[in-house]
Amino acid sequence: MAIPQGDSRWALSPEDLKRLSKEAKNFKGESLWSDAWRRLRRNRTAFLALVFLAAFGGISLIAPFLPLPSPIALSLRDEAAPPQWMWEEPESLPKPPAAGTGMTAWTANLWNDGWRHRTMLSVAVRDEAAAESARARIEEVAGRKSAIELRGAEAVSEDGLSKVAYVSVPLLRTDTPDVIPGETDIRGNVTAWRYDAAIPEASPIPGEPPLEVEPDWRVVHSLELKAPDGTPFDPAQISTWSIDQRTRKVELFLARQDPVPGIGSWIVRYQLDRAISGPVVTVRVNGQLLAGSKPIVESNPQDAQIVDARLFEGIEHDDIGRQLARSFEADPVPGARFLEARHESGYWPFKGLVGRFDDLLLHARVHVFGLWQTGNWMGTDSQGRDLMSRIVWGSRTSIIVGLIASLCSLLIGVLYGAFSGLMGGRIDNLMMRIVDVLYSIPFIFVVIFLITVVNEYRTELEDNFGIDREKIFFLVIGAIYWLTMARVVRGQVLSLKNTEFVEAARVIGASTTRILLAHIVPNVLSIVIVYLTLTIPAVMLFEAFLSFLGLGIEPPKVSWGLLAVDGTSAINPLKIYWWLVVFPSLAMGTTLLALNVLGDGLRDALDPKLRGKS
Amino acid sequence: MATPILDVQNLRVRFETHHGIVRAVDGVSFHLHEGETLGLVGESGSGKSVTNLALMGLVPQPPGVIEADRLTYQGRDLLTLSDRELRRLRGNEISMIFQDPMTSLNPLLTIGRQLTEVLEVHKKLGRREARRLSAEGLDDVGIPEPQKRLDQYPHELSGGMRQRVMIAMGLLCKPKILLADEPTTALDVTIQAQILELMRRLQESHGTAIVLVTHDLGVVAGMSDRVNVMYAGKLVETAEAGPLFEEPRHPYTKGLLGSVPRLTGDPDAELDSIPGAPPDLAALPPGCSFAPRCGFQVARCTEDIPTLFELPTVQSERRSACFEHARLGPTLIADTRGRLNGLDGNPDGDPNEGTPA
Amino acid sequence: MLRFLLRRFLWFGITIMTVMTVSFFLMHSVKGGPFDGERKLDPVIEANIKARYHLDWPLWRQYLHYVGPFNLDDNRALFAEDSDGDLQPWRSSNPAGQEVKAFGGVFAGDFGPSFRYKDFTVNEILAESLPISMLLGTLSMMFALALGISAGIASALRPGSGIDLSLRLAATAGIALPNFVIASFLIILFVFMIPLLPVAGWGTIQHMLLPGFCLGLVFAAYIARLTRTGMLETLSADYIRTAHAKGLSPRTVVLRHALKGGLLPVVSYLGPATAGILTGSLVIEKIFFIPGTGSHFINAATNRDYTLAMGVTILFTVLVYTLNTLVDMAYTLLDPRISLEDE
Repeated sequence: MAIPQGDSRWALSPEDLKRLSKEAKNFKGESLWSDAWRRLRRNRTAFLALVFLAAFGGISLIAPFLPLPSPIALSLRDEAAPPQWMWEEPESLPKPPAAGTGMTAWTANLWNDGWRHRTMLSVAVRDEAAAESARARIEEVAGRKSAIELRGAEAVSEDGLSKVAYVSVPLLRTDTPDVIPGETDIRGNVTAWRYDAAIPEASPIPGEPPLEVEPDWRVVHSLELKAPDGTPFDPAQISTWSIDQRTRKVELFLARQDPVPGIGSWIVRYQLDRAISGPVVTVRVNGQLLAGSKPIVESNPQDAQIVDARLFEGIEHDDIGRQLARSFEADPVPGARFLEARHESGYWPFKGLVGRFDDLLLHARVHVFGLWQTGNWMGTDSQGRDLMSRIVWGSRTSIIVGLIASLCSLLIGVLYGAFSGLMGGRIDNLMMRIVDVLYSIPFIFVVIFLITVVNEYRTELEDNFGIDREKIFFLVIGAIYWLTMARVVRGQVLSLKNTEFVEAARVIGASTTRILLAHIVPNVLSIVIVYLTLTIPAVMLFEAFLSFLGLGIEPPKVSWGLLAVDGTSAINPLKIYWWLVVFPSLAMGTTLLALNVLGDGLRDALDPKLRGKS
Repeated sequence: MATPILDVQNLRVRFETHHGIVRAVDGVSFHLHEGETLGLVGESGSGKSVTNLALMGLVPQPPGVIEADRLTYQGRDLLTLSDRELRRLRGNEISMIFQDPMTSLNPLLTIGRQLTEVLEVHKKLGRREARRLSAEGLDDVGIPEPQKRLDQYPHELSGGMRQRVMIAMGLLCKPKILLADEPTTALDVTIQAQILELMRRLQESHGTAIVLVTHDLGVVAGMSDRVNVMYAGKLVETAEAGPLFEEPRHPYTKGLLGSVPRLTGDPDAELDSIPGAPPDLAALPPGCSFAPRCGFQVARCTEDIPTLFELPTVQSERRSACFEHARLGPTLIADTRGRLNGLDGNPDGDPNEGTPA
Repeated sequence: MLRFLLRRFLWFGITIMTVMTVSFFLMHSVKGGPFDGERKLDPVIEANIKARYHLDWPLWRQYLHYVGPFNLDDNRALFAEDSDGDLQPWRSSNPAGQEVKAFGGVFAGDFGPSFRYKDFTVNEILAESLPISMLLGTLSMMFALALGISAGIASALRPGSGIDLSLRLAATAGIALPNFVIASFLIILFVFMIPLLPVAGWGTIQHMLLPGFCLGLVFAAYIARLTRTGMLETLSADYIRTAHAKGLSPRTVVLRHALKGGLLPVVSYLGPATAGILTGSLVIEKIFFIPGTGSHFINAATNRDYTLAMGVTILFTVLVYTLNTLVDMAYTLLDPRISLEDE
């Protein structure tokens, strides 16, 4: 195109303008992202790291689907077992349930006699044919595929059923019996205190004060409950009671003298002002001691407090055991009698969407693998838990901690840095000075200090705000790692603000929003992504570090840090449990290495200065 | 004529990169006599600086490879010298001044340290003696308060000062040959003149031969005895300075001279520029490298590579690598001479920018 | 220089005050003091202990007392230092000439009595454990510098070679692997499989080798990376070409001209590295059973020994801050272009 001479040089006709803008529109450069992707793929090590991370992340994501032994089920060995190819049945297995009539039981003790996270339905049967038809009925009612195992019963029952069929279906959260509190208008208050029942021992030396003995705490809860019209709640309606006082939120279950179908026990809920440790031995309702309570001792009360209480009617939620019992009763299967449902949890269930996703994976596992599971390919730990399974499940925790904590730090860092960079001037100066000061604090000490202090309030935080140890973790880590992110983002924003292309955009009249969205954000984004990939391994290391010191994730949950602790604590001169050190270290090491390599690769790939080069 | 102190025959330097072999210097021949100044001109990337570095053995190897039919200094073959012997020549008998005084001095060491180490290495002098000579060297190049400067760091000096330090450093051991790689490009015009004057004076007193690499034709015209013009790694014309500027016998030289703005004449007239851009050294066109940009192109130019033809002249040796050198007779360049009066042009830059204000 | 130091000192004061205040109030906001055990104390004893540690004072008064250097303690004279330096109830029968020690507060370098180790003050515990931690830290830092710098230079002199690639991979691995994992491997290797070194403890050179190595390895890896990048950058600089053109030997060029510039990033990394070594010492001291400050800190934090935990936190903050300032000053000495006044 010839450049017009003189003043006419800039006098463009409308046609010219149209043509020029059309040309400009047709000009499509390679986007930063596709270019970066191309370069990343060419970087062999970084791409390998990406593939590895995707594979490893995928495996830990679908952990419930994999035919692994349970990560928390114990076996009775008192020594770590070396890797073995086939899964070996422990010699002493817990006995199968007696042929009773109880419908539902919850197994909390998890012996490693197979993969766990199932509802095991036991049916007394005459022969295999009967067992199969019982199984068909169970599958129909539960709506799930099942696995079956037939064993001889301890004793032939009166109706001549000599075998027990154990039919396993994947455990869903709806299987377990649940009681939903139904509103009543009965209110009142609770007076709670504890006393020391220890009897002082007389001193062997006459004249000296008695010897000190360990205190023997006993807790008393005395309730006053009445209806709005003043009628007191009648304690004679109650047959037995049980109480859950693990946290300050107390639930007192009162079983009815005359059971009402569909309605279980009453539940009285109240929240204590201060936690009272010690067993609850006495419960009094409206002046009457409940059955099994110890007589009241009013002398020398400790931690006494009066709080409000409410009584609920426990509406029982239908569970699989009940459903099956009803089904077997209404339409009996010949030669079979339903005994009980037992729920066995093989891992800690996740809540919400993740939990639902895990349920699906469990379904899939039973469909694909049945009861088959791998051997202890990486050995077991000293309590007989399968190491490979623990590594896979531990990576779930570690990856979640790494991701969420990094995102926390990203959020704080980007907001702080961007604000500082955009404001500039004195505000920027002050904000960065604060970052400098924070940098010079050895943060780990402050953090450990913080965590121990926060731990004192754990139950309160968990009860009132739903903040558990992991969430504290995310917040604390996010609160440290944002510093570098803030600096990086601020530097980038500051330099971008003064670049020619931003000025050019301003000159041609682009709005501030447009400049931010079209020019600043994409350019900051690349550096943020790079930094994020480098923060994740740092955070995972930090988690391992804190877990190592006993301040991170707590058992029975498992993370790589905890596994590493197990490994180091198993080191002793007598026997080297090498698998406890090698496999967790390998998993952690390769993942962290891959993340670092990927971060470096991404930095090269997203570096605009290297754009277009190989 | 006496034997030259530097004799270069068919020097070739190539870089083996991922994108292919780049022949940065391809068959350059010249010789240098004592006390002589040889100008080496051409656009950026024409191989001037690499030629200089190759003479010193400073081309990084790998990826660089240096080859030559003959490369002798005072009869000694530079290519077969051991590293140790080569180091004994560097900075001592052959020294070099670099283009950018801002980056060519070590920012973390004092001026004194950087000067005295040359004397310590080559003349085996003690600290004190080396320091005294260094101060003298600084005094020679016209730096006031040399003693004080010795303890200063490069960033405390101005650009002109730093270039003087560079020159002083190059001349400390009274070298036979000084390779000056664009010594004035980074400086402003008044400092340029001072530095050039300084070099000329020192050359007279020391009898040093200078290879002056530059793309500034004015500097070459003022300083050099002979001039080599390079294009795309090859010598395209070699002549004594006067005749070359009067009658360029290669279209490239002519183009270079044509793009020099002059102080006299119509300020609005457009300068002649050489159309196109220098070729990619990794993918040279067949035939003459300059052919695609040449106004005198004939069919033969795109097929054969022209050698340096000796031209019949009365004054001195003169060569041109153009098949059509005869056509570039004196009549075609009538107005070039006048342009040499305004000698601060920059043939590399945008010709529109060079218009005198 | 003076202005720089003054400004640093000002920020230093702000930092320390913040750390101290925040941790003090956090610590005292925790319900249940350090003496609330399962066992019920005799009320008289409890009151005595509370008075001894001033837990019966209002919080602001405790804070002022902790920070010092005001003597708010009317009963101070009731405690005196005996010949072992322990605080004892002061009696009129004390031998003459024995000085009555006044509690000075943090500003007077006194961190108060430990809540758990009832016969010790925090200062005594620190005086005992800090030299051990310092020795370990210095050893590992020296180790990190020696290994890191030589590996970095070896890498930078032949970029792209086999040595370079393997050293870079080793450095990445060193950064990626937690030090307790490396420590476990090394213990298995050098203590059990090839019994060369003792497993744990403190005292002899052999005791220090493994912990020093494990603690320094991560930093050696970082330093190697920094040295490599820094050296590559300086080696491609124009002034290195000048140095070659002067006829200097490659050795002189690297050692005199390139190394100084190439190591500048390492110098600025020394500050963060110190903080990192202090952090790492927590784990390493725990693994190797070294009675250093780090292991005391962990015990203090888990046992709610707040004065000790705070003492360590404050001490290490001071340490890191001082070292950072020293590093910044050293940097200006090495790089004449940087001036402290510009900051």
